[in-house]
Formats: sequence, structure tokens, C-alpha cells
Amino acid sequence: MKFTLHIWRQPGPNARGQMVTYNVDDITGDMSFLEMIDVLNERLIKDGVEPVAFDHDCREGICGSCAMMINGLAHGPERGATTCQLHMRSFKNGDNIYVEPWRAKGFPLLRDLVVDRSSFDRIIQSGGFVNVNTGGAPDGNSLPIPKADSDKAMDAAQCIGCGACAAACPNASAMLFLSAKVGHLGAMPQGEAEQSDRVRKMVATHDREGFGHCTFIGECEAACPKEISTEFISGLNRDYIGSAVKAAVKGEARGGA
Amino acid sequence: MSATSAAINPKGPRLRGSASNPFDWLNTYLGSSVGQKILVAITGLLLMSFAVTHMVGNLKMFSGPESINKYAYFLKHDIGAWIWVARAGLFLVFVLHLSVALSLKTKAMAARPVGYAYNNSAQATPQSKTMVQTGIVVGLFIIFHLLHYTFGMVHGIPAADGKGERNYLSLTYKLDDGVVVHDVYKMVVAGFSTGWLSAIYLISQMVLFIHLSHGIQSSLQTLGLVNRRFLPVARLIGYGTAGVIFVGNVAIVVAVWVGWVKM
Ligand code: HEM
Ligand code: SF4
Ligand code: FES
Repeated sequence: MKFTLHIWRQPGPNARGQMVTYNVDDITGDMSFLEMIDVLNERLIKDGVEPVAFDHDCREGICGSCAMMINGLAHGPERGATTCQLHMRSFKNGDNIYVEPWRAKGFPLLRDLVVDRSSFDRIIQSGGFVNVNTGGAPDGNSLPIPKADSDKAMDAAQCIGCGACAAACPNASAMLFLSAKVGHLGAMPQGEAEQSDRVRKMVATHDREGFGHCTFIGECEAACPKEISTEFISGLNRDYIGSAVKAAVKGEARGGA
Repeated sequence: MSATSAAINPKGPRLRGSASNPFDWLNTYLGSSVGQKILVAITGLLLMSFAVTHMVGNLKMFSGPESINKYAYFLKHDIGAWIWVARAGLFLVFVLHLSVALSLKTKAMAARPVGYAYNNSAQATPQSKTMVQTGIVVGLFIIFHLLHYTFGMVHGIPAADGKGERNYLSLTYKLDDGVVVHDVYKMVVAGFSTGWLSAIYLISQMVLFIHLSHGIQSSLQTLGLVNRRFLPVARLIGYGTAGVIFVGNVAIVVAVWVGWVKM
């Protein structure tokens, strides 16, 4: 297969960037999108050109590194797949393919397709954990958890923090990521106790990192490689209202994070 | 005696936790993107409720001049000062809705300083991406609507003697019980018998429908009332309510236009 690629090239954070066109051939439908870029990069190296910088790690859809906007869709056209799990058979021979980095104030660009996603780490640091002393392993079944709750927590826990939701959102909102983390911990008895503090702090950090607000456009859900549902955002708002009421009644609000 | 014993409160000011400062609460919860979005949703749903009530009240046009004029008289006179409370509340809600929505939108635009070269979307509806545009049109329409019918500044009806125009507000009607009131019926018929005015109303109602078809379902989700199972129900409520408002309002315009409702 042959493709015409238009890739965003930018040598550094403050340098000027532009879309550059490359032709690739000798691509098979079974190659992943990243392998296709590997083929391009090998050629660029041989030609003495700086290869295209992109993030990747596991190449099996679990680490969330391979951030790329492909033809205006985060992780490309397949639902429920990361870029490394996207195969070239999803495209037609001869297609023009536009490849761009995640675009959001919260994801400053480092180089080519690589962005700095440490804003997500800071969101997690502000409340995406449970404060318990671990101690010895508890006895099995000592803490009964309804199946529906554990299923819900598991659904949310699938989030790999890739950032596709914020990249795809017309408001550049990372609310799907945020709601997956808040929803995951809040569904469990271990995390429930801190839920109202957690949701307040994590929302404050999300805003401070420069992400926008959620208007339920729903693009995040389509972009998410783990198919996290926007119902978690609704749940986050519910927890936020609960947190506000609790703070008003008990006088607990101490500013965000 | 030491110098400090002269102080009114020698132990210093009474201790207060910082948490007792209500501004902390307001800044934290209403200052965040989620809190502000909740404000937009609540005020949006209040405006929607007003739009439904307003439409239902106006359907009295179909039961003739006596009915609608009596109703208008009731609102303006019988409820006394409450009409001003209601108007002030409505104004506040309106201003809050659009100012918070526009401020959020400005921040969202700043959240993506560099846009994409290739724009695409997977499942967004067109109306969900144009809430600000449709909102601004609806806002301008509301101002126009007030100038037109509340202040009578847009259009008049030809005077009986053929010389000049009579102001809408000078039209009077004698109720069955003899009270002379403002003739709302005649005013509305005069308005919608005019082609360009009807066109403005029809287009604006279309735009309001578009705004609400996303706005209502989005508000329900913003308020945390929706999960995956009830999302189709929220959509139905959204399109249904928006559709009812549209059909009711448009019916009045069309009925005058085709001559079912006439002087
Ligand atoms: C009768 C008048 C109006 C009604 C009934 C109405 C209703 C609504 C509703 C129900 C929402 C949904 C809130 C949500 O997404 O959760 C909404 C959103 C919105 N409205 Fe209105 N609205 C009206 C007028 C306006 C006006 C005059 C403007 C602007 C000048 C406006 C701008 C917006 C915007 C920008 C949003 C999107 C919210 C966001 O981005 O957070 N609306 N409206
Ligand atoms: S919610 Fe989905 S799209 Fe967003 S960061 Fe998590 S895995 Fe990626
Ligand atoms: S490289 Fe790990 S998810 Fe794609």
C-alpha cells in the first residue's frame, strides 16, 4: 500500500512548526500505524533527515503513550483502539493521512508529535489516590463489594491516561479522564470516604492546568481507546454537587487543592 | 496594671476558621469549570421553563381576544408587584446564563491556543458545537421581541383615518365585564400579518429549537441526572420539550399568517 502523509514537524517547544508531506510505499495492511511511521523514519534516517519524533512504549494498547491525531480523530478512525492498535488496513490505498500532535494548552508541545502530558500526573497527584496504610493483605471477602460497583470501578479503571479525550474535545476539556479517575475510586468503599475532597481538588487542578469545561458534545467518548462513557462525567458532576453541599453544611471548603 | 488591660477584648479577635468565610465556598465551587457549567445548566433550564409557560399562555390567542386580553391583564395588574419580582428574576437568570456561558466559552477557546489543520468529528451533533452561536441569536431575538411587543417600538398598525400609524400600546379592548384593557390580540395579529416580522419569528424559533435540542439534554447530564441507561430518555426529553416550544410558538405565527386567527 502507498500513502501520502502530512505530518506536523516542529523541532522544539518554541520553534515554528508546519505540516510536511511525505510519501510512503511498501506498507502492508497488517502493519500498525506506528510501524508505518517506523518505515518512514528509517528512510528519513538513511536520507540524513531528522526522523519524526513520536511517543510510544508498549505497542499493545495499554500504556497510552502513542498520542496522535489522525485525520482529525484522536487515535485514528477505529473505535476503541489506540494508535499502536490501529492497522493500515483501516485506510484505503493511496489515502492522504494528516498526522498532528494533541492540541491543548494543558499539553505543551515538545517536538513533532510529542507533547508534555505531565498535567495529567499533577491532576492525579491532587487526589487520584486513596490514603490508607496498606499493611498486610486483608482476608478474602472481608470487605464485600457489590458486583455492579466493582464492574463500574473496573470500567473506569480502564483509562490509560492517553489524553485523547482532551485532544478530541472541542473545548479541550479533560473531563472524561478526570471523571474516570474520580469515578473509579469513588465506586469503591476504600475510596469513597475521600470522594468529596477528591472531586473538589481534582477539578481545581484540571482547571488550573488550562483545560476547558465540558458541554457534553461527546467527542471524548468516541476518541477514548478504552471506551469510557460520558456517564462518568455526569457522575463526577453529581459528586461535585454533593461535595459543594457537604462543604456548605459542614464548612469544609478550603479552596481548591 | 499593664497597658494591654485597657483593650476591649484582651484576648484578641474571636477565632474563626477560614472555612467559615462564605467567599471561600463561592470561589471554590462556583469558580470552577464544573460549578460554572452547573450554573449555566440551572439557568438554562429555568429559561426553558419560562419559554414553555410563555408559549402555553400565548396559546390563548386561539380562544379569541377576550381570553388572551384577560390573561394579559391578569399578569400585568392582578398579581400586582409580583410581576416586577418575576421580571427582575427572569432578567437576572438571563444575564447569568449568557454571561457565565460566554465566559466559559472564552476559557475553552484559550484552552486550545493552536488548532488542528484537519478538523473532523466522530459523533458530535452540529447543534452541540454551535451553542454559543445559536445562543447569541436567541439573545438578540429576545431583545427584538421585547422592543416589538413590550415596548411597541418596531412596528405600528395603520390608523383608522389612514393617516400615519397607531402605536401597539395604544390599542384598547373592552372586556365582557366592562374593564378597558390593552388589546394584545389585535397587536399580535397586526404583528404576524406582516411578512418580514413573521419571518424573523419563524427563523428565531428554529434557532431556539436547535439551542434547546442540545441544551436540555446537556443540562440534565451536567446536573448528574443521567447515566448510560437514561441517556436516550434525556435526549427524548430534550428534543420533546424543544419541539413542543417550537410547535406551539410557530402555530400562533402561522395561524395569523394563513388567516385562521384574524382581527
Ligand atoms: C430563552 C433563552 C435561552 C434558553 C432557554 C437557553 C437554554 C440553554 C440550556 C438549557 C443550555 C444547556 C446548559 C448545558 O449545556 O448544560 C444552554 C447552554 C448554553 N446557552 Fe443558552 N439558553 C437561552 C439563551 C441563551 C443566550 C441568550 C445565550 C448567549 C448569548 C446562550 C448561550 C448558551 C451557551 C453558550 C450555552 C452552552 C453552555 C456552555 O458552553 O457551557 N443561551 N442554554
Ligand atoms: S478517558 Fe479514555 S481518552 Fe481520556 S485519557 Fe483515559 S483512556 Fe485516554
Ligand atoms: S504504545 Fe502503548 S498504548 Fe500505544
